[in-house]
Amino acid sequence: MTTYILRRLLLMIPTLLGITFLLFMLVANAPGGIGASLALGGGEGADAGQNRAIQQAYLEERYGLNDPTLVQYFRWLARVSPLKFGEPLQRDDVGEVIASPKPLEAPPFFGEYYGEGTQLPEQIRPSRVSTGPTQIEDEERLQRVAAYRRALNDYTNARGAFIGAVERLKIALENYAIAEELGRSDEIIKNNKLNMARFRGHNFNADSELGRAVVQAGEAAIVAMRNAVESRNRLAEAFAERPFPDSVFRVGPVPLGVPGIVYLAPPDLGKSFSKSQPVSSLIADALPITLLLNCIAFPIIYIVAVPSGLLAATHRGSWFDTLSGALYVALWSIPVVWAGVLAVGYLANKKYLGDLAFPTAGLASSGAEDMLYLPSLGPDGFERGALLDQLWHLCLPVACLVYTGFAILSKQTRAAMLDNFNADYVRTAKAKGVAHNDIVFRHVFRNSLLPLITMFASIFPAMLAGSVVVERIFSIPGMGSLVLEAINARDRDLLLANALMVGAVNLLALLLADILYALADPRITFD
Amino acid sequence: MTATTTHPKPAPTPSKLDPKRALMRVDNLAVSFDNGSGPRIQAVDGVRMSVYPRQTLAVVGESGCGKSVTAMSSMQLVPRPPGRFDRGRIMWGGQGVDIDLLTLTEQQMRQIRGNDIAMIFQEPMTSLNPVYTIGDQIIEAILLHQNVNVNEAVEIAVEAMNDVGIPEPRERIKAYPHQFSGGMRQRVMIAMALACQPKLLLADEPTTALDVTIQAQILELLRDLQTQRDMAMMLITHDLGVVAENADVVCVMYAGRVVEYANVFELFSNPMHPYTRGLFASIPKMHQRLDRLVTITEVTENPKEFEKLPGAQEGVRPWWPWHDPPKDLAPSDEPAGDYYLQEVKPNHWVGVWRTEAVEGHKSRAPDLDYRIVDDPSRQKPQTDA
Repeated sequence: MTTYILRRLLLMIPTLLGITFLLFMLVANAPGGIGASLALGGGEGADAGQNRAIQQAYLEERYGLNDPTLVQYFRWLARVSPLKFGEPLQRDDVGEVIASPKPLEAPPFFGEYYGEGTQLPEQIRPSRVSTGPTQIEDEERLQRVAAYRRALNDYTNARGAFIGAVERLKIALENYAIAEELGRSDEIIKNNKLNMARFRGHNFNADSELGRAVVQAGEAAIVAMRNAVESRNRLAEAFAERPFPDSVFRVGPVPLGVPGIVYLAPPDLGKSFSKSQPVSSLIADALPITLLLNCIAFPIIYIVAVPSGLLAATHRGSWFDTLSGALYVALWSIPVVWAGVLAVGYLANKKYLGDLAFPTAGLASSGAEDMLYLPSLGPDGFERGALLDQLWHLCLPVACLVYTGFAILSKQTRAAMLDNFNADYVRTAKAKGVAHNDIVFRHVFRNSLLPLITMFASIFPAMLAGSVVVERIFSIPGMGSLVLEAINARDRDLLLANALMVGAVNLLALLLADILYALADPRITFD
Repeated sequence: MTATTTHPKPAPTPSKLDPKRALMRVDNLAVSFDNGSGPRIQAVDGVRMSVYPRQTLAVVGESGCGKSVTAMSSMQLVPRPPGRFDRGRIMWGGQGVDIDLLTLTEQQMRQIRGNDIAMIFQEPMTSLNPVYTIGDQIIEAILLHQNVNVNEAVEIAVEAMNDVGIPEPRERIKAYPHQFSGGMRQRVMIAMALACQPKLLLADEPTTALDVTIQAQILELLRDLQTQRDMAMMLITHDLGVVAENADVVCVMYAGRVVEYANVFELFSNPMHPYTRGLFASIPKMHQRLDRLVTITEVTENPKEFEKLPGAQEGVRPWWPWHDPPKDLAPSDEPAGDYYLQEVKPNHWVGVWRTEAVEGHKSRAPDLDYRIVDDPSRQKPQTDA
């Protein structure tokens, strides 16, 4: 059994890789690509277009969106993987993972068209292994953090200026290429990027007016780069000072693995483009809400559907069987979108229910923080209290989550029970003189458990993914809403983190179902 | 534990039952099944038979002739609906006084099932609950009917498994049915059925699903246990070889009615109903090359066969549902009124048309307390099969 579980766990790794790879490629190859809908405002006026291009270039460089898709995928994978190689990353107080600044690339045609013989300052690499003590005095640490933040600020500005200069250089090159007729203009600019291949073998004419503009822009870019490299080196030094704790799993003070070579670290799910927050903290906010909803909804489904399926099977053809079957199927066929809107329109309407009307949105009233937790009789009469307030808010969403679920589960239970009622071993039990109720529960129900376990395995991941429709209708900031926003904003890291989580939970639920199967049915063994 | 090494054989319960008094008597039983929109299907009609203590009654006939329904009716295991007991009684004499099993309530019936009458089935592969251990299932029956605690029940179960020849019963008691072969499962079924020392065992084709060598083992086991425990057995089968080896009395059924009823020697040496003759004729003979076997219809379609019955001159004709009834038919009002199980010669009954001749000489109901063990002069008949 243990070997089987281990093998299954190991097999999950390639499966998860496949899932994320497919999703990554899907997002990358969607029309517009990654990051196309980043909120860009280039201001107004003649330079608006240029400013927007610079801003986009900056963001693409910041998140590595200008690299080939495969490189981006592997970079993402390296961040997400708990097994890490090389120097340890650091994790700041918000939970954001900080890496050393990556080296800057020289502007295009540096040393060819301009700046011949110019030496660029060397880009230092931060020291590989943490030298300082792991426990730093508070004051000193604060100083280091402040120094790091300052250096980061400087570098952000300098790098922005450098990227702007490079963009201007590219525009100059574009103008030059068009004037020199190095190709049709749509060949020079491909996918909003300058096609460097067009310049290959071309003898640069520095004397033309546009040629001079190129040289000028190039030299400006060199100056900007020199600045950027200097502040980058300062940032790298500040990073090497280790202002933040290393992002490494530790058992007590001992790190798992050898930091600097190979070690285990908490996976870094990245940062959401659209919300400028670490993905992990976004999920940490949304997941408990979804779990709360579903941890109420799913037990209700099981508690209602399984006994009523059981009763329908034992009293097959009775009024209860017919009525419950018809009712559940009728409920099942009502679309949640419609039912939710109706519920908001009628049940959350003071016109119909007066003060008893259910709340329309959210999970707590605006003043809930000031309420007592339990309901009480205060000076102003009955006080609802935070607990009751929340339950009051949960009523409609939970009802919408629950009502469609009865049909499948109760029909499944009923069918499994009826199947087993006709089994030979039931006849054997009867011939032994076993009472009817014992036959139903000891013999038939026990054998009908298997399909219910499969159902559980398929339902469980859905609990974490959340219901997009219900959360949307009742304005609940759960996982469903989060995923929907991520899709709308094409927020790659948020989307991938979700897919990874749901995929992993799915695989774990399947494994759990297999284990439960083996426990429920002695015929199944994994040895 | 010393108990594991020396098994105290359960003292064969001295039979308190009068060997001259029928243990179970099926009297004019009729069972029908609902067939949706069509007419009800009459599975069993006017069946009469009796079982005496320590006797083996073999019920023979083709599939669907009503053998199993008769046996299941005596335990009220026929699903109702769609099934229905139309007529008749099944008198049980196991408690000293005769009680009609068909009129018992479900609760009273549960006291009989497994305790007085036990049943083993044709499909050992599916007759055991796959999710419980062998021990659980045997112990369940013991705890239901005997006033013992769980530990004692385990001992009884181990004993029962030992009796049916399951090696290492104390370990095997924790095994699941799927870990057993078909023959072993049938042994478990027998152990389960016999754990409560029933007075009558209904064996519904106990060996049909098993291969030939295992069949022989199981039948031998059943024979041994039967003599050990003074138990009566109703052996349902369609294998005439099994009948010849095991039965004291044979009851041949066709289309829901008994067509012939006699002790095993009488039946094998002197079959009287054309259907029984057809059955015997269709058995392939050794040392005799045949391209085609004789079919039953070849015998039953031969009008001369119907003339061979004793009393044919007076107008006694074998009942055969595919023939037009004789002209002098004198049906009674009851549904199977065109038929009568007539004792055409002493201790030999044949199903005949209820003609005027029969109506005038109505015989007693089939009733044979014959047992081979009580009859040392007889040798076992040898079948050609």
